[in-house]
Amino acid sequence: MSSKAEVSLTSPQKDKQKTEGLGVSVWEVRPGERDYAKLSDAPAKETNRYGKRIDLIDITHANTSPNRSMNINGKNRVGDNPNRNKQHGFFFNADNCIGCHACESACSEKNNNPAHLAFRSVGYVEGGSYPDYKRMNISMACNHCDDPVCLKGCPTGAYTKHAEYGAVLQDPETCFGCGYCTWVCPYNAPQLDPVKGQVSKCNMCVDRLEEGLKPACVSACLGNALDFGVIENTPQNREQAKTQIPGFPSPEITQPNIRFQQTKSLPDQMVRTDSSPIKYEKQNGSEFTSTVDEKTDKTRLWSLSKLSSRENPLVIFTLSTQAVIGAFLILLLGSYLEIDSFVSIKSSALYLPSLLALSVIQMTVLFLSTLHLGKPLRFYRGFNNLRYSPLSREAFAIAIFFGCLSSFTLLSFIELWLSHQWLSYLINASAGIAIVSGLIGVYFMHCIYRIEARPFWNHWQVLSSFFASLLSLGAGLFAIFAIPAILLAGDDISQIIKIAASLTLLGVIGEGLGLIFHARYLNQDSGEGAAAHYIQKTLFGKSYLARNALMVLACFLSILIIFTTNNSTQSLVLAGLLICTVFIYATVGRALFYVLVIPTTMPGAFFWKNKRFEQHARDIGLTDMPQCGVVANTH
Amino acid sequence: MLFGRKNIKPIVIPEKRVAHWSYATCAYCSTGCSIELGLDSSGKVITSRGNAKADVNRGKLCIKGLLEHELFDSKGRGSEPLIRQHHHEPFAPASWQQAMDKTATAIKTIQEKHGRDAFAVVSTGQLLTEEFYTLGKLVRGCIGTNNYDGNTTLCMASAVSGYKRSFGSDGAPGCYDDFDKTDCLMAFGSNLPEQHPVIYWRLKEAREKRPFPLIVVDPRVTMFAQMADIHLAVTPGTDCVLINAMMYVIFDENLADTAFIEQHTKGLSELTKIIEDYNPKLAQKVCGIDEDTIRSVARLYAKAATAMSIWTMGINQSTHGSDGVVNINNLNLITGNIGKPGGTSLSITGQCNAMGTREWSSCSGLPGYRALENPEHRQQVADFWGITPDFFPEKRGLTETDIFPAIETGEIKGLWLVATNPMTSMPNTSRIRKALEKLDFLVVQDSYSDVETNQYAHVYLPAAIWAEKEGCFTNTERRINLTRKSVPNYANSQSDFWIFTQMAKYFDHGSKIPFPPSPELAFDEMKALSKGSERLLDISGMSYDKIEQATGIQWPCREGETGQARLYTDGHFPTADGKANLIGVSFFDNNEKPDKRYPFWLNSGRVVEHFHTRTRTGKIGNCNKFSPIPYMEMNPDAAKKLGVKHQEYVRLISRRSDAVAMVQLTHRVAPDMVFVPFHFFDCVNRLTLGLLDPHSRQPAFKQCAVRIVPVDQQEAEQLSLKRRHF
Repeated sequence: MSSKAEVSLTSPQKDKQKTEGLGVSVWEVRPGERDYAKLSDAPAKETNRYGKRIDLIDITHANTSPNRSMNINGKNRVGDNPNRNKQHGFFFNADNCIGCHACESACSEKNNNPAHLAFRSVGYVEGGSYPDYKRMNISMACNHCDDPVCLKGCPTGAYTKHAEYGAVLQDPETCFGCGYCTWVCPYNAPQLDPVKGQVSKCNMCVDRLEEGLKPACVSACLGNALDFGVIENTPQNREQAKTQIPGFPSPEITQPNIRFQQTKSLPDQMVRTDSSPIKYEKQNGSEFTSTVDEKTDKTRLWSLSKLSSRENPLVIFTLSTQAVIGAFLILLLGSYLEIDSFVSIKSSALYLPSLLALSVIQMTVLFLSTLHLGKPLRFYRGFNNLRYSPLSREAFAIAIFFGCLSSFTLLSFIELWLSHQWLSYLINASAGIAIVSGLIGVYFMHCIYRIEARPFWNHWQVLSSFFASLLSLGAGLFAIFAIPAILLAGDDISQIIKIAASLTLLGVIGEGLGLIFHARYLNQDSGEGAAAHYIQKTLFGKSYLARNALMVLACFLSILIIFTTNNSTQSLVLAGLLICTVFIYATVGRALFYVLVIPTTMPGAFFWKNKRFEQHARDIGLTDMPQCGVVANTH
Repeated sequence: MLFGRKNIKPIVIPEKRVAHWSYATCAYCSTGCSIELGLDSSGKVITSRGNAKADVNRGKLCIKGLLEHELFDSKGRGSEPLIRQHHHEPFAPASWQQAMDKTATAIKTIQEKHGRDAFAVVSTGQLLTEEFYTLGKLVRGCIGTNNYDGNTTLCMASAVSGYKRSFGSDGAPGCYDDFDKTDCLMAFGSNLPEQHPVIYWRLKEAREKRPFPLIVVDPRVTMFAQMADIHLAVTPGTDCVLINAMMYVIFDENLADTAFIEQHTKGLSELTKIIEDYNPKLAQKVCGIDEDTIRSVARLYAKAATAMSIWTMGINQSTHGSDGVVNINNLNLITGNIGKPGGTSLSITGQCNAMGTREWSSCSGLPGYRALENPEHRQQVADFWGITPDFFPEKRGLTETDIFPAIETGEIKGLWLVATNPMTSMPNTSRIRKALEKLDFLVVQDSYSDVETNQYAHVYLPAAIWAEKEGCFTNTERRINLTRKSVPNYANSQSDFWIFTQMAKYFDHGSKIPFPPSPELAFDEMKALSKGSERLLDISGMSYDKIEQATGIQWPCREGETGQARLYTDGHFPTADGKANLIGVSFFDNNEKPDKRYPFWLNSGRVVEHFHTRTRTGKIGNCNKFSPIPYMEMNPDAAKKLGVKHQEYVRLISRRSDAVAMVQLTHRVAPDMVFVPFHFFDCVNRLTLGLLDPHSRQPAFKQCAVRIVPVDQQEAEQLSLKRRHF
């Protein structure tokens, strides 16, 4: 606190000394700089509207000095802004924005961003009927949130929330390009560059701030729409500082440091020009909520080729990992319970090769998932943020699972010609840790998708689906190894098939129940969720129905196996059929899971930040011209 | 640091290590923004910034200006002269000597065989004023063709013509500072936020400090229309009717400034006689603005202590563009709003140096606002240049829009195009293509060798661009500002100044007329030629250093003075009797209007991220990405009827040809209108009719009729792609 007093007591004379004295400037101030570009140091409030302290020194590490340098570009400069350690934020006057792109281009120019990347983007919503028509432009960058979900989500720890200005800065050199921050951010702030394979984002122009200037975008604004300052200070000549305008996601998710003015009356319905099937409807009062915009008609399509996306490696990774964990779990539990068939499996010559196969599958998909990274060689950074990131935790748990699975396999091989009590302790320990870490891993795998900015995912159905796959796919995978093993041992396979079918049935029912509750939630909860469901029922309508039908078939087949057959050939055929059915519906289902998600991101423009145009540009080869602002998908 | 991090993460922010800031003026639009180019220690341009000291832009720049420093080595720059015998053969690289020899020989051959006027020159609004002056010297003084014009005929000719008819001279009487003084602003066919964003910002600043009513007349709900207090969604091409009806109300309700009319104008009775026919009761049926609104706007405008009008292409690009300008002037004259701070007729100009070409290029006359029709002026210039006045024609020749038809009819055999791209910019481009094909000789001088018109060139001369050269631009508010040479010429390109000076050597008069070796010396010549207390366009008080010091100076700036913000402040106009002319305008509807076969109005215009024919902005990714392919705004209700869908391609068909564009459904446009940006090659101007204004010969780009038909999506996307190959 004493240091705080020191700052506020600084006399103007001292100020001057400071400007000249403390460090080499980090940004060259223009000769004759105008007031619009200068930070104004109005007295700040104590706390923001969420009750968070605005002076960040009070809530940082005890040894943090208010006058330490941010070390921008290796320079030891310390800005002399008395509000330096207070949370700053953008102010956007939606009444004034003319959509002239000056903010975006000033930002891109300053940050040397290529055409396909932008730290700030302008999109719009529009409504009304000619000439009673209104377009509302929204310029949006990073909101340097109180609760930076990007920072918490990032597995590499590339993000820092600084006490200086409350800036949330990301270090591209730490990032390994998983893109998870781009999933969790509701505002599209982090930008994943497919060319460089790493994320970068708005840096609040802290270099300019340290020299007493507002960020480049604000300084460039030609509509007098953008402003910047200590949060909760309404700029001069502005009458409102609210947290929501149509098109802007709920501020509850991250408590973003942005305030809006939007006083002009808008039509009851504001639509987006981009391809997102979302529109915004006025509720009682002036608040808008997102609802489905049925942009195409209700025709049901297959769109099978569109099921394939850049998240394909994740489809394979999640399904395979769940299957491997499930199969291993079944194998171990069966052996532990000393069920006849399991004893016979364990004694089979195929037992060890099967274990080896499980390890190899797990290793392959782990490898595949690292290839999904922008910078695969940096994969080891994935465990840097166990404290906050579900991705780190999942990676860690699955890594342990894999380690234990492979050591279990290795030790089991060793046990062939070496028998020792310690060896069996080690084998049991490996098995136990593998099971626990595998289950924990699947739990955290589900946590990855519980993202508020992605309502389609943010439901317990993810958990039920992942554990259902663990059971049904795990049983299938188990059966694929177990049946030949038992046949080789010359034993009866009907028991193992019935066990596997029962577990599959449990999985199918679990998956089905989850989906029923999920559909109900989608239709009620949010516009983005409902929009995803709309796409599910139209663009993927036939694929969706087929998947559901296959689940019913899987149920039917399982029941048939459990209750009717004793004939081994018949049950073998049915089991084969069941495994195929489960495999197909699970793959289609997981693919849908990834392609359907509609984030609560900002509205785009007609070309820029319009997913459909981006896809079109890739399809027709516009991407050969880099100045079109779209690059080809590299994954 | 919060969230538990103890160790400081390095913060790396791209750093531009600028060793030297060089002074420049933006070379896109006519706002006249002052830019400083940042050069690193090796002399390479690495960044730019708005000049905070300059009064025009006060440190602000628009998207184009912010990224303009990226254009020096952008794709498509011409690196060496190219020559060929026929346009259907491939180009061969040539030396400057060869290219100039070939050009000069071709000019002389054509002139000897078909007469001096059989070779035409069409220039631009993009060159530096010293280059315009030198080009004028070359064309009027050495080559001696009377068929010499600038592409400013496509954008500013109506404003020039209207100013001359009303006030006796070209030159915008007002300035940006009028925004800070006015009590009411009416904008006709101008979309400042998109076309002149920095001027819009000046207006916005003024309105935030001191709110005053803003009226926007535009058939489209532009961003400017949305920001207005009153938006008049006028029927296309009927602005004259609206203004006449306003004047009817003003006279009817005795709101006119009779003292001003009496002292400073003439022609009142002729004006009132015509206006009698424009009772708002009748006018409302034509212009689509109801009687009450017309009355209310007229009262608002007339009662305001000061009121001003601005306009751009919505007025100029019309079959009665000149009349439209005259009528805006009428409105301001009868309300006493000329020559007053805050009361003015301010034409918002298009190109960076449209004003420079009007003032000094000799396109429509002789340098320094002199007229060919005036024997005294011919004598003055001939004496100054050291030739005989009988070398000059006694009347202005053909405008750009008449030069192409003259190629069609065979009167013109050779053409020199300087920094203009008629294959994209002229209306009805299929006609232009045919004309260019027919030429015996075409020389294209441009900074970009991929400029579409180059398809038909026999000689291509690569020109240096912007800050590779030195000289001045004049902006909308008559402010002359400077660009210093800060980078070497790209490859083997040469400045336009050098090209003209060298070309003069091939002609007899080239040795008689002095061609100074540097732009600054040419500027001194212009100063001498501009001097005279009776002369409006007097720049004798300026010098390069003074201009840079003052970050731009407005003319008139007589010796020892610092420039004048406004014209006609004393109520004296440069007409024979010193009075402004009130000229009644009768509405005559000759536009191609929507009918059963072609049911949509076709409107065209600019988008903020592009400039003209995209030769520059199409290659700068952070500009181009906001509209990389042509699109068409269409009303969703109209689209529904035709089964046209958002973000799919359609084919537009007019009586001239067809075009393909991607559909953007929006209620910004009326159900019977579509809007297509004009920047794209082989797009909207394949469709436009471009009827010519009788006074200015400016084409009506914005009014014609089209129909919209579905198109095979795959074929359309490939066609759209092929037409944008850079």
